[in-house]
Amino acid sequence: MRTEISASRHVTQGVANLQRREFLRRGAVLSAAGAAAPWALSLSAMGEAAAAGPVNDYKALVCVFLYGANDNGNTVVPYDATNHAAYTTIRAALATPRDQLLALNATTGLPSGTQMALAPQMSGMRAVFDAGRLGVLLNVGTLTTPTTLAQYNAKSVPLPPKLFSHNDQQSIWQSSLAEGATSGWGGRLGDLFLNQNSTSTFTCMNVSGNAVYVSGQQAVQYQVSSSGAVKLRATSGSTFGSTAISQALQNLTQATSSHLFEAEHTRIMKRAVEAEAQLSSALAAAPTLITGFNAANSLATQLQMVARTISARTALGAKRQVFFVSIGGFDLHDNLVTQHPGLLTSVSEALTSFDAALMELGVAKQVTTFTASDFGRTLSSNGDGSDHGWGSHHFVMGGAVAGGRFYGKLPAMAVNGPDDVGQGRFLPTTSVDQLGATLATWFGVPASDMPLVFPNIGNFNQGTLPIFG
Amino acid sequence: MVATAHIEEPQSATPLARGAQQAPLGAWGAFAAASAWLTGCGGGGDPVAERLLAQPQAERRDLMGALANPSGNSREAPLAWRLPTPDELLNWAERTFPSAFPGPVPSVVSGDLTYRVYSTGNAVGVSGSQVLVLGPISKNQLVVVGTLADFANAVLGENQVVTPTEAARFLAQAAFGGSAADVAAVQAQGFSGWLTNQMAERRGQSHWDWMVANGYAVAANINNVQGVENTLWRKLMSSSDMVRQRVTLALSEIFVISLDGLPVQWRGMVAANFMDILETHALGNFRQLLEEVTLSPGMGVYLNMRGNQKADGKGREPDENYAREVMQLFTIGLVQLNPDGTPKTAGGVPLETYTNDDIRGLARVFTGWDFDRFSASVPDHAGRPMVFTASRHSPEEKKFLGMTLPAGTDGVGELKTALDALFNHPNTGPFIGQQLIQRLVCSNPSPAYVARVAAAFARNEQGVRGDMQAVLRAVLLDTEARTPSTKPGGGKLREPMVRFIQWARTFGAYSPTELWNVGNQSSASTRLGQSPLRSPSVFNFFRPGYIPPGTSLGTAGLAAPEFQITNESTVVGYANWMQTVVSSGAGEVKADYASLLLLVGDAGALFDQVNLLLAAGQLGAASRATIVSAVGSMASATDTNRLNRIYATVWLVLCAPEYLVQK
Repeated sequence: MRTEISASRHVTQGVANLQRREFLRRGAVLSAAGAAAPWALSLSAMGEAAAAGPVNDYKALVCVFLYGANDNGNTVVPYDATNHAAYTTIRAALATPRDQLLALNATTGLPSGTQMALAPQMSGMRAVFDAGRLGVLLNVGTLTTPTTLAQYNAKSVPLPPKLFSHNDQQSIWQSSLAEGATSGWGGRLGDLFLNQNSTSTFTCMNVSGNAVYVSGQQAVQYQVSSSGAVKLRATSGSTFGSTAISQALQNLTQATSSHLFEAEHTRIMKRAVEAEAQLSSALAAAPTLITGFNAANSLATQLQMVARTISARTALGAKRQVFFVSIGGFDLHDNLVTQHPGLLTSVSEALTSFDAALMELGVAKQVTTFTASDFGRTLSSNGDGSDHGWGSHHFVMGGAVAGGRFYGKLPAMAVNGPDDVGQGRFLPTTSVDQLGATLATWFGVPASDMPLVFPNIGNFNQGTLPIFG
Repeated sequence: MVATAHIEEPQSATPLARGAQQAPLGAWGAFAAASAWLTGCGGGGDPVAERLLAQPQAERRDLMGALANPSGNSREAPLAWRLPTPDELLNWAERTFPSAFPGPVPSVVSGDLTYRVYSTGNAVGVSGSQVLVLGPISKNQLVVVGTLADFANAVLGENQVVTPTEAARFLAQAAFGGSAADVAAVQAQGFSGWLTNQMAERRGQSHWDWMVANGYAVAANINNVQGVENTLWRKLMSSSDMVRQRVTLALSEIFVISLDGLPVQWRGMVAANFMDILETHALGNFRQLLEEVTLSPGMGVYLNMRGNQKADGKGREPDENYAREVMQLFTIGLVQLNPDGTPKTAGGVPLETYTNDDIRGLARVFTGWDFDRFSASVPDHAGRPMVFTASRHSPEEKKFLGMTLPAGTDGVGELKTALDALFNHPNTGPFIGQQLIQRLVCSNPSPAYVARVAAAFARNEQGVRGDMQAVLRAVLLDTEARTPSTKPGGGKLREPMVRFIQWARTFGAYSPTELWNVGNQSSASTRLGQSPLRSPSVFNFFRPGYIPPGTSLGTAGLAAPEFQITNESTVVGYANWMQTVVSSGAGEVKADYASLLLLVGDAGALFDQVNLLLAAGQLGAASRATIVSAVGSMASATDTNRLNRIYATVWLVLCAPEYLVQK
């Protein structure tokens, strides 16, 4: 429980004196904040003290967000005859015929007798799975505490607020809080490593649109385009024939202001200009990637930018980086059969290229990539698509991943079955916090710091999953 | 003008209804004591102040003519919109009611109370915004005769002028800013009068008709959106009904469909029709707007009500998308609201408005509707409301929001009943009102401001609910809108597409081809990062409650919706793109800077005019010095030199944070 952070952080043997002192200092700050203080304030209350121990290696965590809620039913599909038949009965016109599916031969992590497959468009990802660098996390979703179907129906345990609402569940996936959250867990991870990087701006990077996931208490989401940082034209040369105008623009747009909106705009512009110079020069000096990325696939070009940034990690002085990329269009209440395959093609193609680029750069073991989405979707069809669900299947990819297997628990392929809260909405059996804590542990976050990043993690007996073996 | 005092027998005292009208204890006491002392009718050892505080004060808005004042509707700022100062009010009272208040006598100031006591035994004072009277004039009752706003017209009269700065500021909220001529029109007509005239302004050619007339409604475009952005920019940048256009754009950010999410044939005509519907009802009634949006092919496709069918008993269930979003986004929202837009809570937890069961019930209502005679050869169906087919409609009982529609109810009637329920829900006024305030005026309106707008939604002067003109007048003429905010979180960040339209309108942008080839402005790194009808989802470009993470805005608990599309790429992308736009235009659309050419020789005068028109004078002395110095250093000998001075001034103002935040 989060109110027991101090108790959970008893100093263990072997902790260096310096770390222990820092720990005690942080504990004192937390105690002073009191049990009633919102947990999210904890990190900022700790100020610069919030830092994990020194790290010497490089690691990056990449979140691939599938906006709109991916249809899990047609992404990771039952392949054994019994379950595929059940799936076909439930989904009717939405179902993918068994002979088109890409069977996953590995069954580690599945109940005996069951076999799963990927959608026909995901041949690239199947190859990465077969190579042992991709695993499938079954039925993961937002949870406050472990929840049974009986508890859900009786409303006897706290549930995540505003289930099935896109914007809120996106926010909870990314931050553990509903819309309005001001820090996400990727950003909070960044907070812990902020002063391990020589330029803190490059700790949390977003190649997509603004997302709370990658904002911390101190760590800012630094946003770049797929082709790099956007350069302010007025930073070089004259404007309308006058260098004075170029200078005036910079003075005006970076002037201090007591108005909070103006000050925030100024802060963004200042950071944009400063970081652009550094990032552009680092990228220019980095070797050209040989691995190809489909320029027409927006997710692929975002991940290409991530790979290029990783290739420039030394010049950027980065030891720990958190990245965010995304692809939208998954809210397929209609046209699921015609549109979902194209989206899965984009996802598979982009992730496969990214895996290849990381292999090329020799950093596959230092980069872990995972998919996330608003929520899962109903198994039931509405005739042309599926509706808002809850638990979903997701992917974790990287050289450090114990891939080629499944993690978590496979829900029953049934409507009104033991895992269904209605119309084939899976009640998650693994929480986003458990996934996040597993990734954070790999990233180097000590267990004692975990409640700072994942406020509800203490509610789960199993803090981490066997994703990294 | 009120010329005569309505001195008459006091009627039965009306207890003040609102707590807000309670004057501070100290002010009342001082006022009452002074008056009692002077008139000699104070009650010996019985302190008058205590007596007054022990009984409700009366409100007598008739007494000094507040009721007769044409600006007396306290919901609206008056024509003479500036509030009088206490001394202006007291001087006016002396002039207007010389027998009751024979002056001149000096004012006494005590805290926020300013008052004068007269030989007649009467006293008149101003406490906060309230005007108080005590003495024989009020049968020795301490009464509130109105607010400063009630008397603004009478006190300030026809001498009150709308300054150019005030007019420009108003135009930025009510429209897209405007030209020097627009500023002059607001000055001449007053805020209220100009708004009335604008609301009556004739609509130009519809989007649909323009698409047809310009050859876009042809089979070759059946799978694209050719022409839609042309006609959108056409009206946004050049239509004379600028208030309607501004409100239509705002509505397109509440009732969202997107050109990027219409996987249907004739999508361009579907979108044109949708925008025409928003425009038709922007100044109409919300109930009709809601129904036409619901039955529009555009929304039908975007949120999947088109083709939605009853359950088949074999696992197929009705599509829930429209049922969910019409509640969450278009009418009532997720949490129960007080009339002032604040959430209702129980034990500190906001109360939700509906459950998934309500959605399942409402989803059944929205079954059975589809295009009216789809054709691949002509787009006519894209311009008609969807039609109902009973055989595809869920016959079961439907329960939602506490209502039960029995099995077998007529489907068309069910739809109207459901929309009535959403329209009449107590959340809808504050929910929609707050968002309109946020689109037009400020990101963080006070609850009282939201409550006034919600009250206008609840009933206009004829008692009609959902009158958009009444709502918009409440949004735009409210004192909170008309008074520049001095708070560190006041105002709002201007939307990039609104800045762009403002540039076009301020400087008379024109399309030589009349095709308005401006195109999609969505690129975050090379354009505006925002473009009309190009939202990435039904949740709009940004959420009304968006709080930028990790910022002082977040610490202060301030929403700043437009910051959701503001980041390192977009701030630079905007500055770079506007550098091109101000000098070379957007595509073929060019500005006409002729009106500025006369000022070019004087960098200060040039700046002042641009600062007025674009920023309502918001750029302060430091920014002025920076810009005037830089522009003043530029050559001005040739035509090219002179144009460069204009480009530089316009661009610098458009990039200045003091402009970007509309206050």
